[in-house]
Amino acid sequence: MRGPDIAWYLAVAAFLFATGVLGVLLRRSPLIVLLSLEIMLNGGNLALIAFSRLHGESSGQIFALAVMAVAAAEVVVGLGLIVAIAQKRLDLDVDKLSFLRG
Amino acid sequence: MIVAAWICLVAPLAAALLITLLGTRISRLAAAYISTTSVLGAFAAAVFVFAKLWSEAPSARSHPSTAWEWLTAGSFHVGLRILVDPLSVFMMLIVTGVGFLIVAYSIGYMEGDEEERRYFAYMALFVFSMLLLVQAGNLVILLAGWGLVGLSSYLLIGFWHDRPAAVSAAKKAFIMNAVGDATMALAFFLLIQHRQTLNFPDAFAVGPGHSWLVNLVALGLLGGAVAKSAQLPLQTWLPDAMEGPTPVSALIHAATMVTAGVYLIVRTHAVFEQAPHVQELAAGLGAGTLLMAGLIALVQTDIKRVIAYSTMSQIGYMFVGAGVGAYANAEFHLLTHAFFKALLFLAAGLVIHALAGEQDIRKMGGVGRLMPVTRITFLIGSLALVGVPPFAGFFSKDPIIAATMTRGWYGYILFAAALIGTFLTGLYAFRLFLIVFPGEPSPFVREHLMRGSHAAGMEGAHAREAPGSHDHEVHEHSGEGPFSNEHSGEGPFSMTAPVLVLAVLSVVGGWIQWGPFWDPVSKWLDPVAPPLAVPTDTQEALASFFAVLLGLAGIGVAWLIYGTRRWRVPRLAFSQRVLEHKFYFDEAYYFAFYRPAVFLAKGLGRWIEGPIIGGSVRELANAVREAGLDTSRLQTGLVRTYALAIAASLAVITIVFVAVR
Repeated sequence: MRGPDIAWYLAVAAFLFATGVLGVLLRRSPLIVLLSLEIMLNGGNLALIAFSRLHGESSGQIFALAVMAVAAAEVVVGLGLIVAIAQKRLDLDVDKLSFLRG
Repeated sequence: MIVAAWICLVAPLAAALLITLLGTRISRLAAAYISTTSVLGAFAAAVFVFAKLWSEAPSARSHPSTAWEWLTAGSFHVGLRILVDPLSVFMMLIVTGVGFLIVAYSIGYMEGDEEERRYFAYMALFVFSMLLLVQAGNLVILLAGWGLVGLSSYLLIGFWHDRPAAVSAAKKAFIMNAVGDATMALAFFLLIQHRQTLNFPDAFAVGPGHSWLVNLVALGLLGGAVAKSAQLPLQTWLPDAMEGPTPVSALIHAATMVTAGVYLIVRTHAVFEQAPHVQELAAGLGAGTLLMAGLIALVQTDIKRVIAYSTMSQIGYMFVGAGVGAYANAEFHLLTHAFFKALLFLAAGLVIHALAGEQDIRKMGGVGRLMPVTRITFLIGSLALVGVPPFAGFFSKDPIIAATMTRGWYGYILFAAALIGTFLTGLYAFRLFLIVFPGEPSPFVREHLMRGSHAAGMEGAHAREAPGSHDHEVHEHSGEGPFSNEHSGEGPFSMTAPVLVLAVLSVVGGWIQWGPFWDPVSKWLDPVAPPLAVPTDTQEALASFFAVLLGLAGIGVAWLIYGTRRWRVPRLAFSQRVLEHKFYFDEAYYFAFYRPAVFLAKGLGRWIEGPIIGGSVRELANAVREAGLDTSRLQTGLVRTYALAIAASLAVITIVFVAVR
C-alpha cells in the first residue's frame, strides 16, 4: 500500500510544529501554551511515524508511543500547576508569573 | 643491645608524652619524678649498651638498626635508622648521665613554679631530641634531632613566657640556629645528589675529583656546627639564652646541645678531611671564638653570662681540637667540660636560688661564708675550667693545645691563641669566684641569707623591694616567680646532691685519660675517628707547662685585682666599651640584616603587595561580580522569552546544518 509521498507527511508535521511554536510564543494563557506544546509534540510524532513507515521499521512508532506517555505526564503536571495558580487567585498569565527574574 | 639503645632513645619521649597527656591530673612532683626516672632509665640503658659494646672487638663495634623505612624516592631511601658505635655511646652516656643530674636538680630549683609540669615535659623532650641527634644512623635523622634540640632550646629559653626578654632571646636563638640548619640541609642535598644515600658512613665517601663539591658540603656542615655551638660568627644567641632557667642553661647551653657542633664535626670527619681548608677554618673559628669570648667574659656582670661566655670559649677549644684532627681529645674535652660547666651553672643556680633570682654579681659578695658547700664546689669547677693539674680540665684541654703544634705555622697561631685563652680563662673564672664568694657578705646577701636572725615578716617585704636599683633588674627579679624567700642556706638535698656528684666528677673525671700515659678514651673513639695528628711527648709536656703556667698567671692576676685589691682594675674606656658591647656583633647584625629586611618588607608591602598582589585580587573579584550582575539580567522570569530563545537557537542550528551540508 503506497500512500502519499513522505514529503507530504513532513510538511504536515512541520506545519503542526510551527503552529505549536507560534502558540507557545504568542499566547499568554498557560492553558493555551500547554495545548500548543501538545501540538508541537504531535507534529514530531507524525514525522516519527512517517519515517517509521518509510523504512518499514517499528522503532519510530515505539518512540511515538513513548512521546505520548511523556506528553500525558506533562499535561498532568501542567494542569496541576494551573489549578494551583488558579486556587491562589493569581492571574492566569505567563508574563505575570515572573517571580524568578534575576 | 640494640633494644637497649632503642629504649634509651624512646624513654624520655614517652615521659614527655605522658606528662603532656596527663596534664593537671598528676601533681607537679609526679611530673618531675616521671621526667627524672625516664632520664635515669635512659642512662641505665646507655650504660648497658656501653658494657655490651666494650666486650666486643674494637673493629666490630658498629651496629646500625633500622626501625622502618619512611621515605623512598626512586633509589633514595631514608629509614628511621640508629647507629650504635663508640662515638654515639660516648655521647649517650654524657647526655643521659649529666642530663639525669640536672633534671634531678631541677626538682628543687623549679619547685613552686606554676608551670612545672610543662618544664619537665620540655626537659624530657630535650633529652629525647639530643639522643636522637647522637644516635642517628643517617644524616636525615641527625637533622631531625638537630631541629628538635633547637625546638626544645627555644621552648626552654622562653619558658618564662611573661618576660619579654626571655621571649626575644628564644626567638633569637631559634633564628640564629635556623641559619645553620639551612646550610646543613643544603649540604645534605648535595650529598643526596652525589651519593644517593645519607647513611653513615657511606655518605661521606665523596671521592676524589670533587673538590668543589666536598668543600661546599663541608662548609654547609660547618655552618650548622657553628650555629649550634655558638661559634663565630653565629655566636650572639648564647649569652641571651641565659634568660632561661638555670638548669636549662646547664643542660642545654653548656653540657650537651651546644657541643653538638663538635659531635657533628667528629661524626662527619671524613668529609672534613677531604676538605682540609674548611677543617682549618673550623679550627680558626674556634680559636677566634675562644679569644673573643674570654675577653668579653672579663667585663660581664651577670653571673650566668660570664659562665655562658666561658662555655663559648671552651667549645672554641673543642673546635680547635676537631679542626686539627684530634677528634678523641675534642670529645674528651666535651666530656670533662660537661662535668665542670654543668657544675658551675648548678652552683651558680644555688646562689641565684638563695638570692631570690638575683644574677648581678655587683650585688653579691661574701656569699661563700653563708654557703660553704657552694663555695667549695664552685672553686672546684673554676679550677677544672682553668685546667689546674689534678682537676678535669687539665687532662682534656692540654692535649688539644698540644695537638695544634703538629700543624705547622698555622698550628702555632692556634697554639698561641689557645694559650692566651688559658690566661683569660684563669682571669675571668677567678674574677667571678673572687667577687662572689670570699669576704664579708654584702648587705644584699645578708638580707637574703641571714634571715634566721631577723624578724621574719618585715624583712621579707623589704628584701623584695630592695634589689630594684634600676629598671632592668626590677624586671628580672620579679620575673623569677618560683623563688620565695623561704630558703635559707643552700637549698634542698635534691639540689646539693647533683652539685656534689658533679664536683666529684670534675675532680676525678679527667683521670680516665692522661696524654701519653694512658688513653682509654682515645682507644675507644679512634676506630670511629682516627686522629690526624698525634703530638709527641715533648709537645704534650710543653703544652701542659705553658697552659698551666698561663692559667695560674691568670688566677694570680685575678687574685691581685679582686682578691687582695692590691691592683686596681685597669681603666681602658674604649676597650671596655667594646667588650661590654660584645664586639658590636649584635649592632652589626641589626644594621646588616634586620634593618634592610624591615626596609625591604615595608617597600614590598607598599609597592608590591598593595597595588599588585592585593590589587589584582580585588580587580578580579570586581570583574567576576560585574559579569554576574550582567548575566543575571538575562534571567527575565518571562517564560516566553526563554521559549523564544530556545526556538531561535533551534532555528539557527537547523539553518547551520542545512547550510553546512
